[in-house]
Amino acid sequence: MKIMVCLKQVPHQDARLDIDSAGTWIQESNIKFEINTYDTYALEEALRAKDEGECEVVVVSIGPDRTTQALRTALGMGADRAVHIKDEEADGSDALGLAKLLAAVAKEESPDTIFTGFMSDDDNFAAVPPMLAELVGLPHTTAAVKVVRGDSSLTVDRETEGGSYEVVELPLPCLVSVQTGINQVRYASLKGIMAAKKKPLDVKSVADLGLSGSVGAGAAKVKIEKIAPPPKGDTAELLEGSTDEVVAGLVTKIKELGLL
Amino acid sequence: MGSILVVAEIQNGAIREASYELASVAQSLAGTSGREVKSLVMGSGIGALAEEFSKKGGGSVLVADDAALENYNVDAANAAVRAAVEAASADLILLSNTPSGWDVAPRLAAGLDAGFVGDCFRIDFDGGQFNFRRRVFNGKLDAHVSAIEGTIVATVQPGATPPFEGTTDGSTSDLSVGFEGVRAKFVETKKSDSTGVDLSKADIIVSGGRGVGAPEKFAEVIQPLADALGGAMGASRPVVDAGWLPHHYQVGSSGQVVQPKLYIAAGISGAIQHLVGMKSSNYIIAINKDPDAPIFEVANLGVVADLFDVVPALTEAVNGAKG
Repeated sequence: MKIMVCLKQVPHQDARLDIDSAGTWIQESNIKFEINTYDTYALEEALRAKDEGECEVVVVSIGPDRTTQALRTALGMGADRAVHIKDEEADGSDALGLAKLLAAVAKEESPDTIFTGFMSDDDNFAAVPPMLAELVGLPHTTAAVKVVRGDSSLTVDRETEGGSYEVVELPLPCLVSVQTGINQVRYASLKGIMAAKKKPLDVKSVADLGLSGSVGAGAAKVKIEKIAPPPKGDTAELLEGSTDEVVAGLVTKIKELGLL
Repeated sequence: MGSILVVAEIQNGAIREASYELASVAQSLAGTSGREVKSLVMGSGIGALAEEFSKKGGGSVLVADDAALENYNVDAANAAVRAAVEAASADLILLSNTPSGWDVAPRLAAGLDAGFVGDCFRIDFDGGQFNFRRRVFNGKLDAHVSAIEGTIVATVQPGATPPFEGTTDGSTSDLSVGFEGVRAKFVETKKSDSTGVDLSKADIIVSGGRGVGAPEKFAEVIQPLADALGGAMGASRPVVDAGWLPHHYQVGSSGQVVQPKLYIAAGISGAIQHLVGMKSSNYIIAINKDPDAPIFEVANLGVVADLFDVVPALTEAVNGAKG
């Protein structure tokens, strides 16, 4: 069995978000990057399948040189191989362009399952996983909170709303995007990190994947024109005084709202 | 010139509020872009709902009425929307960013080789093109996105737009859909447990954050206030990621987006991804020890204090006030 996991390296959650000189993205120099939170859960889900039986886990990522670090971390956690799509021609790709790149790798690898994170912490699109499934021709589901593996299918609980879940059965091969909290993500052990140095990491260009002219800024159908901080709201009126006074003020307000 | 296609959604036997919000967006864009509004209503035995939607902003409604569409199924929904896009000659397709919408919309876009913009809170037509606004970096920044050319699929954040009100001249017509390519299988819908509440319907939500400190404190401190007020309990993301509460309690961009009459945030500092999920609430009370917590920027009324002093006292006072 083979599982492909798509990883994205994103700015660290606590990174300073300064807007770049073009005003269309953030300044990426001098900030820390990490594996997108959702994707760490996707990787863990694949590694659990590997723990249970014979299974190869291949991690795939698109990005500049720094992305190597994310892939090495994934290898350190237990993935077997990595594919790094690294090419300036891919810069400025929209979600569909990224999905095309990943689809080209997926077609070469023919995995039984593709796990991805539900969305990325930077652009928050949640678009690549279903697009990738469509381009590869696989059934998919999103926001998985439980995956049960059968002989020829996966049974997935997908999170919907208000504490409800939809249970979906997908024939293999298929793609599942996972929600945070689906499992407890392991850390790379020192032994794992040492072993990772010897694991294969292939670098692919856009041309290698047969996609010259089909991805990157020139092929994008949507474009970020500008990013800016959201308008700032007014600060709250503060209730001050003893606990009794504060509570009396809160009760008065809740009554005024007609809710008590 | 194409049309604007609204993909309506049925939930619990009725057209969702979010679909009327889409109708409102579409009707406004129809005026500015010179396009006609068409809609898709899909489900099983939904003729009357389609009729109703056509009169309330849906315009020319295509009706996909088939047992295969009774429960949400990504492949069946995708087939129905593809058929509707073709029948309507649509070049802007709008879905809500709901569990169904986020599941099928990107797949639809890839199949149509269309552009995709997810979770927009605003869409305008100017300069001869559609322009979209959405949050990035978990709400810390706003992105202005433009569609360069061709067909665009967009999902719209529920609650970001007032629903369409008023009446429209509408019509309905049957849409024929082939379901040969359906592979995903709907098994069942289930609730995680008896306390699962659709937070988007609660009038009052009392949420706790990392400041609550321990999982058992939610049952001891936060839930009693929610119960006293007849409301529901929520939580911020760190609480859920730490495994203190199941994910369905989570309010925020990666959880539920809520708009209750009253939202009480206790021990929540206000990471932007949480604010995105609750800042549209009618009234917000924040209780936090840190006077600089960003939650106070979106709150109407704030208390800078230890939640363990204020919340139990408030619970007692509310119970007392009810007599």
